Amino acid sequence: MAPIIELENVSTVYEGERRPAIKNINLTLEEGELAYIIGPNAAGKTTLLETINGLLPIFEGRVSVFNLDVEKYGREIRCQIGYVPQDFMVDPGEPYTALDVVLMGRYGKIGVLRRTSREDKERAIEAMRLLGVEELANRPIGKLSGGQQQKVMIARALAKEPRIFLLDEPFSNLDPESRDKISALIDQIRRERNITTIIVTHDIGQISDSCHRVVVMNGGRIIADGKPSEILKDIREFLPKEYWWSSL
Amino acid sequence: MIWLEYAIFQRALIGGIIIGLLAGLIGIFVVRMRLSAIGYSMSHSAFAGAALGVAISIDPLLTALVFSAVTALLIGPVADKARLPIDMITSIAFSLNMALAFIFLTLSPQVGLSSEVASVIWGSIVAVTNRDLVYLVILCSTTLALTYLFWKELFAIMFDRRMAEADGINTKPFIYFMIFLVGIVVAFSLKLVGGILVYALLFNPASSALQYLHDMKKIIVLSPIIGAISCVTGFFMSLIFDMPVGSCIALVSTLIFALSVTFSPKRKRRVKT
Repeated sequence: MAPIIELENVSTVYEGERRPAIKNINLTLEEGELAYIIGPNAAGKTTLLETINGLLPIFEGRVSVFNLDVEKYGREIRCQIGYVPQDFMVDPGEPYTALDVVLMGRYGKIGVLRRTSREDKERAIEAMRLLGVEELANRPIGKLSGGQQQKVMIARALAKEPRIFLLDEPFSNLDPESRDKISALIDQIRRERNITTIIVTHDIGQISDSCHRVVVMNGGRIIADGKPSEILKDIREFLPKEYWWSSL
Repeated sequence: MIWLEYAIFQRALIGGIIIGLLAGLIGIFVVRMRLSAIGYSMSHSAFAGAALGVAISIDPLLTALVFSAVTALLIGPVADKARLPIDMITSIAFSLNMALAFIFLTLSPQVGLSSEVASVIWGSIVAVTNRDLVYLVILCSTTLALTYLFWKELFAIMFDRRMAEADGINTKPFIYFMIFLVGIVVAFSLKLVGGILVYALLFNPASSALQYLHDMKKIIVLSPIIGAISCVTGFFMSLIFDMPVGSCIALVSTLIFALSVTFSPKRKRRVKT
């Protein structure tokens, strides 16, 4: 299968900092692959997603997505990526409805000087229906609970009809029932549409059965990368005790 | 209302309505895109430009426009180049422009606080000309047309710039353009409202409108209406009490903001829950 995401010796430094947040990262993901990135806090998991998404300047190395250089074609690439950021919480007074926020996911794809069509709205509503938040469409986003807001953000990523999912702790505010349901939904959509998917989690218990790969990060580096059965078996070797103990 | 029979007051009233609409509209973008420091900085760069115009005896509108445009075009790229927040660069530009404004005013050939100098500082009803009105109508129509054409992108950037970027919207040109537009609107508002208080018209109507509604599409209509009401009420207050028009407009818009905060339906709902 063709590689969709390729990182070669990539290091990223945040503005105003000297120490790279991620160092010498080499990672290749193929079409339709499902990878989980695990690791303790400040391991560089979010930075890795933002580097793939072209949201952070690359200090060293090369990132290509769909065989395109992220630094050159970042905007075009991002139009094809469904991104759910970590802990995206909205102020209660935000003057946007949940539907507004989901529909925005399609704006980059629609393009400049083009209006949203009926089809765009239907896709947004359909994504909300799949996530079980359709009845909240016209409610102000800031008035929704943390879990509901998280579902809206996942619906936003789905509505985009992306070729890649980059999901950063997408289930952190969900109850176990919703988490299992949405995890299964994402997996089903991934398989149906062959979407390359990276899910960041700090909780090993959230790794789904259909996961192809587990990438372990610590201190800004990839310290292990392989099949879930191999990695999880030896997790105690890779990560500090406090981490795997709390995740079990 | 005998005043309104005179062309000079008619012009000022029409000019005030257009400026109120424009500032109210642009103000929403300024507040939501967190460009508040830009509002201060642009109003004072226009003020410095107008002061230079008075000092060297050329049209203050022209020099205000040049100063605003140059500041607007420099702020974004300088912030990017220096890798510093835009607010930091605008704060530096703010102090520089205020210093220049007062130096230019002291260099003015006119003695003391002449009417032209005073109008640059506090605004003046008599300063609005027919030519200014034509420019204001063109600026207002252009701003409305651009807002309509790029509404989708502006709407997303106002929600969250980083998420808009993640969705594939190139946010930088829109931010730079907004900074530029603020400069132009401020320069045109300067004659009526004055350099010291013009930013009140950018923030107060927008902040008031945000107290009432949960829907950005309605807020973008309400804010210009509040801006126009502030200008018209301030205009009549200035005539009745013989006070500077800029101060009256700033007072009215601040009063509307205070009332909006007090009677905000958003706050009432929050207390109930």
